[in-house]
Amino acid sequence: MNSIEPDERIPRGWARRPRERMLITPLVAGVGGLLAFFTVVAIVVWLPIHTFDPPASSDWAPLAKVAVKGRNLFAQNGCYVCHSGYSRPQDVRHALYFLYPKISQPGDFFGSDQSPNLLGTERTGPDLSQEAGWHPDDWQRAHFYDPRFVDPMSLMPAMKSLFSDRQVEELISFVQMRSGKSGLLRYAGQLYAKHVAITNQGFQPPPVGFKGVHAKIQEGADRKVPAGQLEEAPNLSQIDRSYWLAGDPLPVTEGNLLRGKQVFLERCVGCHGPKGNGKGPAASFMAPPPADFTSADDACCGGDTGPGDFYYRILRGWPGTAMENFGERLSVDDIWRVVLFVKTIPNHTLRRDVIPEPKDYIVWQPSKELLAWVASRQKLPSNADFVKKPVTDPFMQEAMRIFPGLAPGDRFFLNGTTEPLSLDDAAKAIRTIYEDLLNRAWADAKARGEKLPPEEQKLIPPEVPGQQ
Amino acid sequence: MLEPPAHPRDTARGRLPFPDGAAKHWILSSIIWLTVVDLFGLVLATEFTSPEAFGAISWLQFSRIRPSHVNGVILAWLSMMYFGALFYMLPRLCGTRGMWSERLGIWCAWAWNLMFLLGVVGLLTGHSQGREYGELIWPIDIALLVIWIANVVNILATVAIRTIRPIYVSVWFFIASPLWLAVDYAIGNVIWRPGNVWGAPSGALTGSLSDAMLNWWYAHNLFGLWLTPMLIALTYYMVPRVTNTPLYSYTLSLVSFWGMAFFYTGVGDHHILQSPTPAWLKTIAEVSSWMLLVPVFAFTINILGTMKGNWDKFFTNLPLRFTLTAFFFYFLVNIQGAFEALQPFNRLTHFTNFVVAHAHLALLGAFTILGMGVIDYIVAQVYARPLWSRSLTEWMYWLVVVGFTGFFTVLTLAGFQQGLEWEQGVPEVNVLPQLHAYFIARGVFGAMIVLSGIVQIVNIGMTIFTDTHERRRRETIAVAETIAPPVQA
Repeated sequence: MNSIEPDERIPRGWARRPRERMLITPLVAGVGGLLAFFTVVAIVVWLPIHTFDPPASSDWAPLAKVAVKGRNLFAQNGCYVCHSGYSRPQDVRHALYFLYPKISQPGDFFGSDQSPNLLGTERTGPDLSQEAGWHPDDWQRAHFYDPRFVDPMSLMPAMKSLFSDRQVEELISFVQMRSGKSGLLRYAGQLYAKHVAITNQGFQPPPVGFKGVHAKIQEGADRKVPAGQLEEAPNLSQIDRSYWLAGDPLPVTEGNLLRGKQVFLERCVGCHGPKGNGKGPAASFMAPPPADFTSADDACCGGDTGPGDFYYRILRGWPGTAMENFGERLSVDDIWRVVLFVKTIPNHTLRRDVIPEPKDYIVWQPSKELLAWVASRQKLPSNADFVKKPVTDPFMQEAMRIFPGLAPGDRFFLNGTTEPLSLDDAAKAIRTIYEDLLNRAWADAKARGEKLPPEEQKLIPPEVPGQQ
Repeated sequence: MLEPPAHPRDTARGRLPFPDGAAKHWILSSIIWLTVVDLFGLVLATEFTSPEAFGAISWLQFSRIRPSHVNGVILAWLSMMYFGALFYMLPRLCGTRGMWSERLGIWCAWAWNLMFLLGVVGLLTGHSQGREYGELIWPIDIALLVIWIANVVNILATVAIRTIRPIYVSVWFFIASPLWLAVDYAIGNVIWRPGNVWGAPSGALTGSLSDAMLNWWYAHNLFGLWLTPMLIALTYYMVPRVTNTPLYSYTLSLVSFWGMAFFYTGVGDHHILQSPTPAWLKTIAEVSSWMLLVPVFAFTINILGTMKGNWDKFFTNLPLRFTLTAFFFYFLVNIQGAFEALQPFNRLTHFTNFVVAHAHLALLGAFTILGMGVIDYIVAQVYARPLWSRSLTEWMYWLVVVGFTGFFTVLTLAGFQQGLEWEQGVPEVNVLPQLHAYFIARGVFGAMIVLSGIVQIVNIGMTIFTDTHERRRRETIAVAETIAPPVQA
């Protein structure tokens, strides 16, 4: 039966043929479609935006004026297409030498200057939410100019054509201030360590912007060593003292040396140069400039050039210099192999087609002075029980990260000055720099008329994620 | 082809029953943009293998080309192609002689081209709002919306003056989808906060996370409420039209229409599934991403039902082959997307090239391949002549299909490689050398895709500028004469 008799008691609409009932009118498609759309919009857009207002996390810090400018440059030039702006739970890596990024909290994104969002969707490069303070400004400048200057494996575009000197400083300022208080603390440590490194070795501050590309590689000045102090003492203070006299655990074999050379060519030539003389393309940006490995004297007899010293600096970086933390990127074995190889560089093993051989390896011997210095450090009354006790003061934690070779009782002077070097002095200086950075950023945010948490929030000390 | 030949009286006057002026302008612009955005993609692929390839040319830097590529694919190529196809199909479905105003459509096409040209010049010179998929600066946003609304008016007016009362499924989408997108674009680009109109911060909410939630809701709805519904509308037109078969089921098309409106709108947060945004919103996004399969399956069954008994045409009719290839990739992208929206899978693949592969499966595999086929169909119809070269069309098909499939495969593998390495705690820079081979392969496959677009430009251009109809007639006569030579007197 195809035709249905219209029943008088049923409304007309019910008696339509099934095919006819399926039809929708333009009004239903348009208005109905929009109604469905707005219903869902109310749930997934309006509701979360109007109810989700997390308070500032204790780690949150505002951006200084110059950093906000840098943030806008970061957005306008599309940096977010390769760098994400938050770290996920699985990004926190539970390994010995990693950088320990923390998990981003809702309160880390407090503040009305964080616009537009820079969360990102792809990581061709690393996440930058916790980047602040891991690299000093001069490293950042060389890296922005041409990333392969400092990391030959990088795929990042060179920024030399995009930014002026002023803009690059703004960008660096954003990078160094974007990670909240814990980032500011690292940056403060980085700034203090830079001061120590250039003062101690008699360098000028590094050139700003991209000026480094035309600058001359700096030469250090000989500085008067304080009486009774080893010349390398300030350098050694940045190396955990258990490494001061450590030797290579790996045998000096052709295989190990060759692998060391390979890693050196892959990672190190941007700064230390293809000849290993510290004159890589990035060198002119940096103060202090990269180390020169070509001197046989240094290799055999330097006060801070033992295998353990080299190993520690590759593993954890050298705060204050542009030397990065490679512990995350290289295996422990590979780091030791690089150390082995570096000791062959004075014998021209970096030449093309030269395979480093065990006979090229220069054995390092601690000098009498060094041994005496190490012994004197051990004998200090307050150092007898030198153990790294858990410290709760974040500024002291940062000082201990930068000066792991200092014991609580150590107190000496930077070369050529009367400026004291001790953990207490370092913690105090880092605190001053940190508070200055935070106060200026806070004042800038206030001047911009931004929503700010109560003033007491400023006093909550920074957290140091995952540090000793 | 299957459209009945134009009435002799019309062709004699050089006029066709449908003016199709607007359709021509939008369609022909779109094929030029396709090659432009393909070339942007090729620049990006090159920079992945050799970052110094373009030296110090600031406007060819990766971070500026990437937004130009993404915005260009969506707003220049696909949107222009879709509007062109819409301006072609809507009069035929509504029984009107052309659009309500063909002239308005033509003006809008020129305005759109100019608008996007300025927009892309802005992006390449660092004038960007810095929000993914919403990079165009505020004045461009406004221009885009004005043109968009003019198009919406044109569409609604055409529907209003229709002579065929019941409206076909495709028309539902033609009405609703541009409306959805206009609202989505206006809200998603926060056009009421112009800020710094030449760059950032502009067109964004003040809070970072609120802005991110809005940003990704908007970005996903570019696909969900514009590109996808239009793919469905075009497929619902092409398949029954080319196979000359009624649509399998109206009921299923209702499911696909309303299912899309309800489930697609709420999935955006799955782009930031592990960011510190509210958990309940993530749950909605995950559930919606799976519920999406309801309209997808309804659509799939409907098309397969319509194709029943018609599969011979898949091999003989090229526009249909493009359409169904796109249809297959569309089905695939939805299944893949549903899995990607799950937390455990997302943990592995997010931030990797797997997502890039997924995006290309949708925008290249589905929407672009569909668009290329639809354009071939429409140009032949509008100019009432066969395409210049069938073998070039075959070349175009195989170049884009092989190019895309290879591209998709290498990026998926690269994505798993990245995800698994990162899971072990290997930092990003250490994974890059392992990806080098994949990146080279991506460039090679990408070059095939670029070539396919250029082949299309040649083929369409030659169709327009030479009278293929006359040539085909001569060829037919020549063949006929060899088979049966004319009797000599």
